[in-house]
Formats: sequence, C-alpha cells, structure tokens
Amino acid sequence: IGGSVATVATSSPGVAAVAAVPPGKGGERGNCEVGPFSRRGPWECGAVREAGAQGSVSGRASESPPRLGGAVVVEDQPDVSAVLSAYNQQGDPTLYEEYYSGLKHFIECSLDCHRAELSQLFYPLFVHMYLELVYNQHESEAKSFFERFHGDQECYYQDDLRVLSSLTKKEHMKGNETMLDFRTSKFVLRISRDSYQLLKRHLQEKQNNQIWNIVQEHLYIDIFDGMPRSKQQIDAMVGSLAGEAKREANKAKVFFGLLKEPEFDVPLDDEDEEGENEEGKPKKKKPKKDNVGSKSKKQDPNAPPQNRIPLPELKDSDKLDKVMNMKEAARRVRLGPECLPSICFYTFLNAYQGLTAVDITDDSSMIVGGFADSTVRVWSVTPKKLRSVKTAADLSLIDKESDDVLERIMDEKTASELKILYGHSGPVYGTSFSPDRNYLLSCSEDGTVRLWSLQTFTCLVGYKGHNYPVWDTQFSPYGYYFVSGGHDRVARLWATDHYQPLRIFAGHLADVTCTRFHPNSNYIATGSADRTIRLWDVLNGNCVRIFTGHKGPIHSLAFSPNGRFLATGATDGRVLLWDIGHGLMVGELKGHTDTVYALRFSRDGEILASGSMDNTVRLWDAVKAFEDLETDDFTTATGHINLPENSQDLLLGTYMTKSTPVVHLHFTRRNLLLAAGAYSSQ
Amino acid sequence: MEAAKMASPKSAPKDAQVMAQILKDMGITEYEPRVINQMLEFAYRYVTTILEDAKIYSSHAKKSSVDADDVRLAIQCRTDQSFTSPPPRDFLLDIARHKNQAPLPLIKPYSGPRLPPDRYCLTAPNYRLKALHKKVSSTAGRITVPRLSVGAVSSRPSTPTLGAPSAQAVSVAAKVGAPVSLAGQRFTVQIPSSQPAGKSATPTPPTVQNVLINPSLLGPKNILITNVVSQGPAEPNALKRKHEDDDDYDTL
Repeated sequence: IGGSVATVATSSPGVAAVAAVPPGKGGERGNCEVGPFSRRGPWECGAVREAGAQGSVSGRASESPPRLGGAVVVEDQPDVSAVLSAYNQQGDPTLYEEYYSGLKHFIECSLDCHRAELSQLFYPLFVHMYLELVYNQHESEAKSFFERFHGDQECYYQDDLRVLSSLTKKEHMKGNETMLDFRTSKFVLRISRDSYQLLKRHLQEKQNNQIWNIVQEHLYIDIFDGMPRSKQQIDAMVGSLAGEAKREANKAKVFFGLLKEPEFDVPLDDEDEEGENEEGKPKKKKPKKDNVGSKSKKQDPNAPPQNRIPLPELKDSDKLDKVMNMKEAARRVRLGPECLPSICFYTFLNAYQGLTAVDITDDSSMIVGGFADSTVRVWSVTPKKLRSVKTAADLSLIDKESDDVLERIMDEKTASELKILYGHSGPVYGTSFSPDRNYLLSCSEDGTVRLWSLQTFTCLVGYKGHNYPVWDTQFSPYGYYFVSGGHDRVARLWATDHYQPLRIFAGHLADVTCTRFHPNSNYIATGSADRTIRLWDVLNGNCVRIFTGHKGPIHSLAFSPNGRFLATGATDGRVLLWDIGHGLMVGELKGHTDTVYALRFSRDGEILASGSMDNTVRLWDAVKAFEDLETDDFTTATGHINLPENSQDLLLGTYMTKSTPVVHLHFTRRNLLLAAGAYSSQ
Repeated sequence: MEAAKMASPKSAPKDAQVMAQILKDMGITEYEPRVINQMLEFAYRYVTTILEDAKIYSSHAKKSSVDADDVRLAIQCRTDQSFTSPPPRDFLLDIARHKNQAPLPLIKPYSGPRLPPDRYCLTAPNYRLKALHKKVSSTAGRITVPRLSVGAVSSRPSTPTLGAPSAQAVSVAAKVGAPVSLAGQRFTVQIPSSQPAGKSATPTPPTVQNVLINPSLLGPKNILITNVVSQGPAEPNALKRKHEDDDDYDTL
C-alpha cells in the first residue's frame, strides 16, 4: 500500500524524478539544475535522500515533519521535481471528483456515532487533493473540484479556503511557506478505533485504493480506544492548520510549579501604622516574617529545580522591590464573584489607528505605547515624572555617600511626563518592560528587537535575527532573558548580553503572533497564525505541549499565577483554558464577538479578565472554571474531556467602552484592573 | 477603517473596478478608498518592471519577441530579489536543533548592566572630534570629555565669561565610550541655538557655545572656551570667533 510511491523516491532522487515528470512539463525549467547540487548545500541533499527511505505511513512521534516521498520543499528545482514524483502515482485527475464524492457518500451513510469522526477527513483530503491537482498543473480540474466541494467544508475553514482559491497555479504555491508546510507535514486526526476500522475496511476495497493512498501519504491517524467523539467535542478541538495534536506530543513532563521565592523579613514602616498611640510614644515595631512565599520547606514535585536554568541573582534593588510587592500584597483586594475589581481605562487619544502595542510595569508606574509611526512613547502613570540620569560630568560632582543618592543622580531638568524613543524603522508591534524597570524592549516590523534604557531613555542594543516582522516580545519574569516571535515562524530566546539568540523554537506552520513566559521562566508559550499554541522548554528547546482548538490566529496568552493553567484568545472570539500538566483543554469561554487581544489573570488567580476588539472587557470566574477538574484516567488517555456549556455561568461582567478596542489589561498589585486602548472614532 | 465605497460605474475607471472586485474576492471588505489607488500603482509598477526585465532577457537570448519563458525568468529573478519569503521549515528545524544543543550560558553575578560587547551595542558616540595641528604634551590623569550635544536644548541662556568654565552642563546625546585626552584638541561644537528668546538662526560662522571643561586637567594654553551670547543676532557678531577650519567637522 503506497509502496509504489516509495519506490520511485528511493531511487536516485534527481534523475528518476525527472523521468517521472509528465510530458506537459517538458519545456519547464524543471529540466535544469537537477541533481544533488543545489544552492542550499549538503544538508539538503541528505534530507532528500532520507526522504526516500521513509515513504511509509506510520507517523513518528518526533517533532520534525516526517519526510515522505521526497516531499522536502525548498524553492529549488530538484525538490520540485522530487515532490512531483510523489503526486504522480495518485491516479487520473479527472477521477478525483469521483473519489471524493464516493468517500462523501460513504461517510454520510455511516452510523451517526461514527459520522462526526469520519467527517474530519473531509477537509484535509479536500485540501490535499486540490493541491495535488494544482501542482500537477491540472488547472481546470482543480477549479471544478474546488467549485464542487468547497461549500461542504466546515465554516471555520473558510479563511483557508479563500487562500486556496487564489492558488490556481504551481507558481503561486512557491512563495507561500504556510501552504508548503501544510503539504509536507502530516495532518493529524484523532479517531476512535471503531471508526477507524470502518474507514479502513471501506477504503481498502479495490476501487477506493486511490483515496487510501492519499490518506496514507498525508494524514496521520492517531487512534484512541474509547467512545467515538461527538460533533461538539470534535468542533472544540479542531481548527488548526495541522489538525489536532498527537497524544504523544502532550505527554512530556512539564514543571509547571513556581520557583521558590527567597524568604526575608519585611520591615514595618511608619506608613503602615495608624500613627503613634495616644501617649505619643512610637509603637514598637516588629519585623514581619515573609510568609507570602512558599510555606513548605520541601520541594514542590511539579516545580522545576531552582538551578534548572540559570537565572540572574537578586540585587538589592530587586529585594527592595519584593518587599514593596509584599506590602502591597497585604493590602490587596480579594476578588471573587461578590467582589469584582474596579476597572481604570487608559485611552490613547489622537493615535489615528496607530497604537499597536501597550505594556504597563508590574508596579503600574509607567505605561508604554508602541505606534505604527515607529515611535515608542513612555508615560508616567503616577504623578512622579520621568527623569533621565545626569551626564557623567554632573555625576562626578554629586556626593556618592548621601542617603538619597538615587534621587541625586536624576537630572531634574529632564523631568517630563512623556518620553519619546526614536529608532525603529517600522511599526512597533510589541513592547515589554523589564521587571526591574530599568529596560524596555520593543519589537518592530523592521525585524529588530530594541533594548532601551529607562534611565537615559536612549537605545542600547538592536537585536537582529528575525529578518521579517517581529510580532511580539516579552521579558522573562526574572529579567535577563526575553523571547520574541515573528513572521519567520520561529520564536527566539535571547539574553540581554548576547547579540545572538540562545534558543530557536521552530515548529509552527505560520507566523508566531504571541509569546509569553511561564511564571517560573522555564517554559515559553507561543501562539501562532496556524491556530495552535505550543509550549516550549527553555532548557533544551523542545516542544512539550501542542494545544489546538482555536479557529483563528492566536493573539493573547495568559498564564495563571499558580502556573498550572493557560488561557488563550484568538480572532474567533473564544477564550480557551488549558491544563498544562495534563495537556488538555479544560474550558471554553464564549461571549466575545471579535478578536480577544488582551487576557490577564488577577494577582491571586481568582478572576480572568479578557479585552477584545468588540470594545468590551469581560470578567470570568477563574476559580469556578478550574475547580472540579477530576480528569480521570480515561479522559487523560484519550486526550479530551467533555466541556460543559457554562460560559454564561462563568461570566461575571461585561464592561463596554465607547468605541475603544481593548489592547492591554493589567492588574495592579492591589488588584485594580487597568485597561488600555486607542480611541477609534467610528 | 472606513467602509469601502463602491464608485459608481460612471466615474470609476475599469481598472479601479477590477481592483475592487479582486479585493472583494480575497475577502477584504473594509478598506480606505485610497487602497485601490495604491494597489493599482503597485500592480502597474510590478508588471512594468517584469516586462522590462523580460525584454532585456529576450534581447540577450537574441530572440525576436518576448515570450513566456522570458517573462517567467523575469518573475523568478524579481521574486528572489524583492519578495523574499522566510526560510523553509526544515532549514529552521535544522538551525534550531543546532542552536538548542548548546547549554544555556551561566550568568556572571554582579556584572553591572548586562549588555553585549560594545560593538554590538548602539552606545558608541556617533561623533568624532577634530584634532589640532600642533600637539601639546598631555597632562596626567583621566579626563572626562565634555558632552557635546547637537540639537539638545540647553536650558538656560548663559552669560559669557571668557576663560572661565561655566558651571552649566550641556547634556549629551550619546555616551562617550572612552575618555579622550583633551590636550591638543580644539573643540568645535555646533549647537543650533534654540533658546526661548533667540531664534534658531545658525549664523554662518559656527559659534562655540557653553562647553564645560574641567580646567584643572588642561594646560592653560589649551583652554579655548569661547562663550557666546546666544540672545539676539546683533551681539554674537562682536563675540564670535571665526574658526576657519571647522566649518564642517565631519571632514578632518
């Protein structure tokens, strides 16, 4: 089965492939530059030869795409012809419509319980068959095939189908990396064993051999033992460009616990006390022991070891910041369904649709906006103005031993509420403050990530690596590391003192649109335009989780403060909740009608706030959404649970703005919710 | 974005209607009206470039007319040049595998601001100082170079005193990398005066304005502070020192 395909490819890739080119392509440039010599170099030849050896069906659980039948695709000639050879044996193009409608008929006549699962086959088969016709230059057959069957596909694939409808010639496919990746990676389907047996029996009958070949070539069927899934369950999990996630992809152990905070004493201050008691004597002050941090001495089994990845040591200023944090935490409002947070909205006026990124510092003292005119503007949220450090000449004149030396190094003449940072040469799509508020990162369409100093308000470094627009960047919660993701479909991990990235996270099929660190800084979540979210291990760059289910590119990610859960928002308006440890979807929050651009958990994880392009902020009950998660062995084995339709119960409030899409959300240390967006007047 | 305004068939040229239809087919429903003009300009420019290239290739191959092969070659060359696409997936996986093998580097404690080596940073000065012709023996000690700002506002207008350093600082645009010996150097600073009172008229002979130099580290002969009043056009003429050799401090 499928053996005929494999044999063609195992022979010398260059020569045999040319022979297999159909006559219609004779005059084409496929004739020149055939052979193992190509511009790219030796690694590519190795890949092509390796491809021939693995023409079989069984997909591997490893991360790299299984190479089949010479389907390694780069822009060069040899691989084009090698790829063609894979498609050549698939049969008469004019019969494709018959094959497809035959399968359609079979599935529609099957039992109800199997029909939903088998219907998953329609979309990947449709796309692969269409792309084969286009690649083999049967344009008219491709067009009629598309016309006839594109209406049958699920509504959430409409965007992909529109892109496909514009690909009518082989040349159109060359520049479209996403489509090329789609063709070379296997689309994963999860089907129960009973349904699979049914399908296999039907397809192995003689007249359906062609479809069976295609299924083996391009699909990976992950079989699970259990009840067939209902349409509703399937609809919740499908939608990504690569199908669903294989069960093995989500089996690796993930250390989702938090790192232990260092313990130290919190000295009480004058401000904390109500004042002196009546006798006029100052009250006795006892330092409070810090017990906001971990209570138990023993290591949380789910937390990574402290030195798993190197982290910067705590400086004195960091310790002071932590003390401040704890004091604020003591005054924090406990939120819940009875006690909703107040929301303070910062509206950017006169931005002319140019506001593309917003970030707020952890202590809510500064707000930064990245704009389409390539500027980065920093405002002070508190009455305290932004000052830059004095010049070196002046600094040599001040008294270094005085107590307020940190105030004296600031130059009062430069105090202003707004600082504008110039440097990028394209719209600024992502901004991120460092946790110690000394640095600011910004990433832009010009392909660079810039590090700015917030003490001199000048640019320090430009990190070049992505050569294409960078869509998002974020500092690690401990500083020093930062992650960026862009149009080149990879996310990169950098350290501020290395001019090249430390880790490259490759695997997405389309642009990486959103990147976030886990609170313990050991993992990075990336959301992509291929509608999946991947969780990567910083230590070795492996992808440890793949979450599918969104029907549009992902634009927002938020980890819960305890590190166990992840909330994601996309252009389909849904917010999905994921359990990282088990690798399962545990909740679906429906309500928004447009892209969800901002997600944030409250400081203790009780409330999830979501902000969207539909000009609303919604608050959801996170405690209730995550309780009762008794994922028994059955569900964790099969990889899905029954999601209750409880969006309405979990919704605590909807707050509308006056035509201002919400771009950023931030809970202050006392659980006041800050939101930001640019007023758009229509 | 304003909703698309469909031009009435009478007024919109056929090209514009075709472009509007293409946008509609691609699923774009909301766009500013000028997008159509931009798309048409792009389409026209692209096709013209391709056809010109194709003509060149066809004449190079000594053909009598341009045919499809020439056009295809022209498209291919242009695509490699202007419309580059990101690297293919296997290439990315390969370099990722290579990069991810190296362990994460250990972090040196207490090392100040953690930045890459200086040549990868943007912190070097973006100006150069002109050297004097005659060299005087350098004085000992480290000298802090005065910060020279181009375009910065010096906040207070100065009263000039010749020969004495003024206490005002001139803020700097860039941090200076290494201290430079001041001996034997003449400072030529062009600061467009943007005082609140005066205009920002830059008189043709450049004027040396407030420069803070630590005089104790300089030989007395080398103090060449010329403080110039920056209010009003009448006065500078009296105090301006004309420097013949510093009209353009870019050329040394």
